[in-house]
Amino acid sequence: MEFGPIFRALLNNRTRFWLITVEVALTLAIVVNCTSIFLDKRQSFVSPTGMDIANILVITTEPFGENFAIEDYVEDVGDSDLARLRSHPSIINATPILHIPLSGSGSSTSRKAAGSEIDTVRVAYFWVDENGIETLGVELIDGRNFNRADIEGRIDNGNDDIPRTVIVTKAFAEQIFPDGNVVGRQISNGDDENAATVIGVIDHMSNSWPSASFGDHTMLRPGMVRDSREMNYLVRTEPGTIDSLYTELEELMVSLESDRVVTVRTLSEIKLRYFKRTLMAMKIWAAVVVLMIIVTSLGIVGLTSFSVTQRTREIRTRRALGATRLAILRYFVIENWLITGIGLALGTLLTIGLNFVLAQYAEAPKIDWMLLVGGAAVLWTAGQLAALVPAMRATSVTPEIATRTV
Amino acid sequence: MFAYQLRLAFKSLRRNPVLSTLLVAAIGLGIAVSTASVTIYHIYSSNPIPHKSDVLFHVEIDNWHPDRPFDSDHPERAPSQIAYRDAMAIMQSQIPTYQSAAFRTELMVFPDGDEQRPFREIVRMCSADFFMMFDVPFQYGDAWDDAADQAPEPVIVIDSKTNQRLFGGSNSVGRSLKIVDRYFTIVGVLAPWRPTPKHYDPTVNAFGEPEAIYMPFNFTPVFEVTNAGNTWGWSSDPIDTYEDYLQSELLWIQMWVQLDTAEQKQTYQDFLDAYVLEQKKLDRLSRPLNNRLLDVMTTLEEREVVPDSTKSQLVVSLLFLVVCSINLIGILLGKFLSRAPEIGVRRALGASRRSVFIQHLIECEVIGVLGGSLGLAFSVLILNVINRMLSNGEQLHLDLNMVGAGLLLSLVAGLIAGIYPSWRICHVAPAVYLKMQ
Repeated sequence: MEFGPIFRALLNNRTRFWLITVEVALTLAIVVNCTSIFLDKRQSFVSPTGMDIANILVITTEPFGENFAIEDYVEDVGDSDLARLRSHPSIINATPILHIPLSGSGSSTSRKAAGSEIDTVRVAYFWVDENGIETLGVELIDGRNFNRADIEGRIDNGNDDIPRTVIVTKAFAEQIFPDGNVVGRQISNGDDENAATVIGVIDHMSNSWPSASFGDHTMLRPGMVRDSREMNYLVRTEPGTIDSLYTELEELMVSLESDRVVTVRTLSEIKLRYFKRTLMAMKIWAAVVVLMIIVTSLGIVGLTSFSVTQRTREIRTRRALGATRLAILRYFVIENWLITGIGLALGTLLTIGLNFVLAQYAEAPKIDWMLLVGGAAVLWTAGQLAALVPAMRATSVTPEIATRTV
Repeated sequence: MFAYQLRLAFKSLRRNPVLSTLLVAAIGLGIAVSTASVTIYHIYSSNPIPHKSDVLFHVEIDNWHPDRPFDSDHPERAPSQIAYRDAMAIMQSQIPTYQSAAFRTELMVFPDGDEQRPFREIVRMCSADFFMMFDVPFQYGDAWDDAADQAPEPVIVIDSKTNQRLFGGSNSVGRSLKIVDRYFTIVGVLAPWRPTPKHYDPTVNAFGEPEAIYMPFNFTPVFEVTNAGNTWGWSSDPIDTYEDYLQSELLWIQMWVQLDTAEQKQTYQDFLDAYVLEQKKLDRLSRPLNNRLLDVMTTLEEREVVPDSTKSQLVVSLLFLVVCSINLIGILLGKFLSRAPEIGVRRALGASRRSVFIQHLIECEVIGVLGGSLGLAFSVLILNVINRMLSNGEQLHLDLNMVGAGLLLSLVAGLIAGIYPSWRICHVAPAVYLKMQ
């Protein structure tokens, strides 16, 4: 192969060499870093929530009637709402809930294994009743569900004799009980007098802040928090019925008690709203990557065309001296291959550098080396294809004129 | 001479319209992307109240767990919200020019008439000084007075959107509105107001909308109002009643003061320190003395309101512009050198290197400015698309500064891209080309 002459010829035309090298290197750095951020964001959006979100409706009610100042009245409304919802043929189950999962607003606290020296771990919690697990569609992998006694124990806040119980996600349990024994153990906020017993473990459930670092640290607490300001329910519907229930439930709730504002939303809708900015950022990063590859490819086309034009006489001479069309094509392809290769090598360093800069004062996940290899392969292919266009033109240069003008 | 060179530049651009379009588009794309992200960064990191940002202070009292700091990454910082009982105590001070404890909540509003159903509205509990401190603009009426703060009297200020929705945008001062269980008299209607970032409470959605209704702070215990913003706590003392809630160590109040002089600031700092030392005798506030007065920009910085992605987009978009410029160098080099024979003749006829260089540089700058204008138009488009995708309702738009910045960027890009090709072309040896003619 003619690596030697090609390389020496390159050294005589350093401008083009450096322009393409630097451009390819910068492009690799940007493309790999942007893709890495894009994939990171996408991961937080597509990762499973553990819940049956496609079939869950969220009913928010904001009571304003004066009756709601009476505690018993609130209880009665709650009981009749739930009874009505659960008896609906298209509804699998329903639970009262205060904060809505995936909504970006909720309650969080810190817990640790009672009596342990390990620091407390942040966890978000939801108050649900014994229908919570089925309504959410989460999978109980160990222990038991709440029963009526757990729920009633919590309604009467003053009664401390009844043991407090909680159900936690596996991810959270692994944090506070590294030894793996979970069910039956006690957790507390550091003040062991108010400890609660873990009665069950669920496989996975995203909390109110799914993209936060503690997004899968979730704790279910038994109880029906009925508040005169807001009473919310989660409803799990039979597959395929969610659209028709949407408006029906709103009317149903108002018909049960009209002194309140009722809003019905799907859990998917709430999730989309939470991820709105993430989705927008993903679109921006994807656009940057695509634009970048197009711009660089066009740049390589331009620079190689220029080089072909400049070396027309050279090519003619070579052709006249017996070089085949294929040899000319091979020359330009190998040349481009060399330049892009050096650019990509330089770009690998730049990619790591840019990742470091971004990580200094902004978000930037660590670069996966597979991504780097993939990015290099894409750019290398794009570079080759881009150089092929002008290189084909170079092969059409005919030798006979060359002999005349020299 | 300049006009002549401009004419030459345009003539040269017209000679190969396809290539020229490509050149202008190349630089335009870079300018569009970078101007849009510079604008977003500029808006997100801007000073919402430049003329007063250094006399308005956010009050922080280090009320947290005795054993650990509020923010373990920045142990020198105190929580940025304070407890209700501390807010009530330090509001007694006569030192600040203006002062307001405030927080965000939601209350039920009952519009008169049958057409509109009751609704829950976002309310800010604050004192009259809040409007003075932050120069909140009024369309009709004015803030309530100190007497209304003390009593408290049932008066409210509503924002322009709420006025539009409930009263069709007419002057509603003097009309009344039922909130929770009683009628409030509207004393003021705000003109449209959108501090960006929302300096007075950046803990909840720093680029969101201000509240719709403003109510005297002292209605808090009357309505047993609870916070709808962030509440932070460290103590495990039980909270069973609303009174417990108010007396607890839960942190949910934002406290702002206006201190116009350095002495005033020092006096207020001394007052705060004395208050905390007094409380320590009651076995409260057991962390080391750390009362902080942060001006507006420091507050925004510590709250880290600029989204991380905005910063990385800024870095990446500027690199994108660099790549576009490198492309420009390549294409310009080709374009100029293909003109070498012509330049050879001009040089032989007496054109100096300098004038050839300047002529080509001007051509590059023309391309830069054309690309820049195209890019600015594009960036308006990009910002509009982003505005539409944001649910927040914040309006990102180019201001005059950003148009200037975009044009400057395009001039710099044109210069950087143009220097080397122009230098190459002014160094062509005339003799070779004369021989070829």
